[in-house]
Amino acid sequence: MNPSLKLLLVLIISLEISIKASLTTSVIIIVCSIIYLLVHKIKLKNLLLLILLPLIAAFTVFATLYWFNDHPDHYYAWVLSSRIYVYILTIACISRTTTPTELTRSLEQNLHLPSKFAYGVLAALNIIPRMKMAVKQIRTAGMMRGVCLSFWSPMLYFKAILVAISSADNLAQGMESHGYVEGKKRSTLVKIPILAKDWIYFFAILLIFNCRLFFFK
Amino acid sequence: MTTIQLDNLSFSYKGKPDIIKDLTLNIPSNSFSLLIGQTGCGKSTLLKLIAGLYPKYAGISSGKINLNGLKQAMMFQNPSEQFTMATPRDEIIFALENLDVDQKHYEKRLNFAIEFAHIEKLLDKKIVNLSGGEKQRVALATLVAMDIDLFLLDEPFASVDPEARHYLINKLSELKKMGKTIIISDHVLDDYEQLCDQVYAFDHQTVNRLTDEKKRELFAKNQAIDLSDLHFKLPNKDGATVFELQDTRISLDRLLLKQDNLKLYQGTSTLITGKNGIGKTSLFKALTKIIPYDGHIFYQGQELMKLKAKKYLFHVAQIFQNADDQFLTVTVQDELNLSKKHRHPYYSDEKIDQLLKELKLNDHLDQVVYSLSGGQKKKLQILLMLISQQEILLFDEPLAGLDHQSVKQVLSLMKESKEKLHRTFLIISHQISDLADLCDYHLNFSNLKLHYSEVPYES
Repeated sequence: MNPSLKLLLVLIISLEISIKASLTTSVIIIVCSIIYLLVHKIKLKNLLLLILLPLIAAFTVFATLYWFNDHPDHYYAWVLSSRIYVYILTIACISRTTTPTELTRSLEQNLHLPSKFAYGVLAALNIIPRMKMAVKQIRTAGMMRGVCLSFWSPMLYFKAILVAISSADNLAQGMESHGYVEGKKRSTLVKIPILAKDWIYFFAILLIFNCRLFFFK
Repeated sequence: MTTIQLDNLSFSYKGKPDIIKDLTLNIPSNSFSLLIGQTGCGKSTLLKLIAGLYPKYAGISSGKINLNGLKQAMMFQNPSEQFTMATPRDEIIFALENLDVDQKHYEKRLNFAIEFAHIEKLLDKKIVNLSGGEKQRVALATLVAMDIDLFLLDEPFASVDPEARHYLINKLSELKKMGKTIIISDHVLDDYEQLCDQVYAFDHQTVNRLTDEKKRELFAKNQAIDLSDLHFKLPNKDGATVFELQDTRISLDRLLLKQDNLKLYQGTSTLITGKNGIGKTSLFKALTKIIPYDGHIFYQGQELMKLKAKKYLFHVAQIFQNADDQFLTVTVQDELNLSKKHRHPYYSDEKIDQLLKELKLNDHLDQVVYSLSGGQKKKLQILLMLISQQEILLFDEPLAGLDHQSVKQVLSLMKESKEKLHRTFLIISHQISDLADLCDYHLNFSNLKLHYSEVPYES
């Protein structure tokens, strides 16, 4: 499916589910998302992380409403904590099947997002692996100078932020030196089309979801 | 003939003295120009001015630059800071889309660029995983694909191996025949003599064109050392070892090293050479525990993997390829103070002050380290690590981007440290002739293996 439509669909589903409480719908979406992820060959470890990490947030929400509320609402506690999984798993479905580059191109071409914003974000995303490597290198550099930089050390963050700031400035210069001028007409060499098939999927899923949400109890 | 005209050009960074003063210069188009000058004199600044990046992004300028309608693009000294996209292919697409190139021309230009810089195998790899030299080739390919008139190249071959360098410089002269204009800044003069039309020397805030005679002198001086005269010893197998590799495998994206057995000897200097992307830096990363390995690496008889990084790095330090990675604080003085805390007793305060003077860093003590020039950063970085107490130092391209004089100073510093303190050095470099005197042994890295070799190059 077209990346922009996928994103739009997930946003609509998340929004609607935030407004109307329906535990069954949430559970159905969660199950469908997990099946979708498995079909697209997600690594088991990643899937487990996707389920375990949000557990902290989900459990906190559940505990607040169920145990620490003057009027404990069993149903509502389940609804709210299941929503967290809906948000995370649906977004995981997008990131599993779309690369940041595809999404950026699609946002620029299909939704006409300003290219400055689209490529700015993309360049920032491409810095993330570099930042990870940089943090590791900073810690090693520290140890070589007799400084142990723990994960809460201000020096580590100071240095990491410095790397990020200087990268940001160089990135802007880098984009410009590769011909990027804000507002100038750009051609599209890699087209991300929206096919009839994409629209059919989009509306079909939306229709089924809304029927489920509003007509069944 | 059209020219690139610089008219009364002056430039300074905010609150700093002028870097360029009243420069008037005409650089002929459709020619190959080499820009030389000492580390930190302003070569990168001048190129960024011509590229129109300054004063937009930094500094204040006066005077005029007239490119007479030539389309330009610049390649940065540190190419990893120049990429917006994740892979070389996407980067080239991004650049061509920016130029509003249509589908028909895109493929032709892409293929031409790939063939030009020999990057067919790199095209869909992640840029973050490419080696320094590979990134430089990709950056060059991007400019070639953009089909600009004026190539501004800032030390484009600093991390490229000699073979690729020779190939690329010859290719650039082909571009000239196609009507392009090329301005390169470089410290290493090999391969340029026959191909460059004029040499510009940066000196005292201005730039002068060398006369033909001066130009000949410059290249004659450079040719003094012939690589074929260089010979290295083979190690004595009974020597005390610091590192021993046994069935070691190092991988990053692909397999880089598959070594049966190798010993590295205590108190000696070993030069490591090999092509771009072969895995030299990754070897160092494994030795400093930044990346994992399979098999065994023993440090003085103990398995490296099992040693605590904190204790181990008290004995082994690396001088990173990119100087910025080494710095932890803000100003030059802060950095020195930090290194002084865990220094080798040999380096007293007076000694350090004297070295700072020799390296011409003594006037920069209050400067933010990141605002130093590329060469100044490198010199400071090497000084900082030599002061430190470690007995084993891993140098990754210590001479890249240094001018002739700085190379000499840095080498004498390293030599002194090695001889007086009996340190063990492992040095990755393409500048073999400079290092031949300092290094006892030579390790050649090829076909996934390191082996000791008497001659600099094996056919």
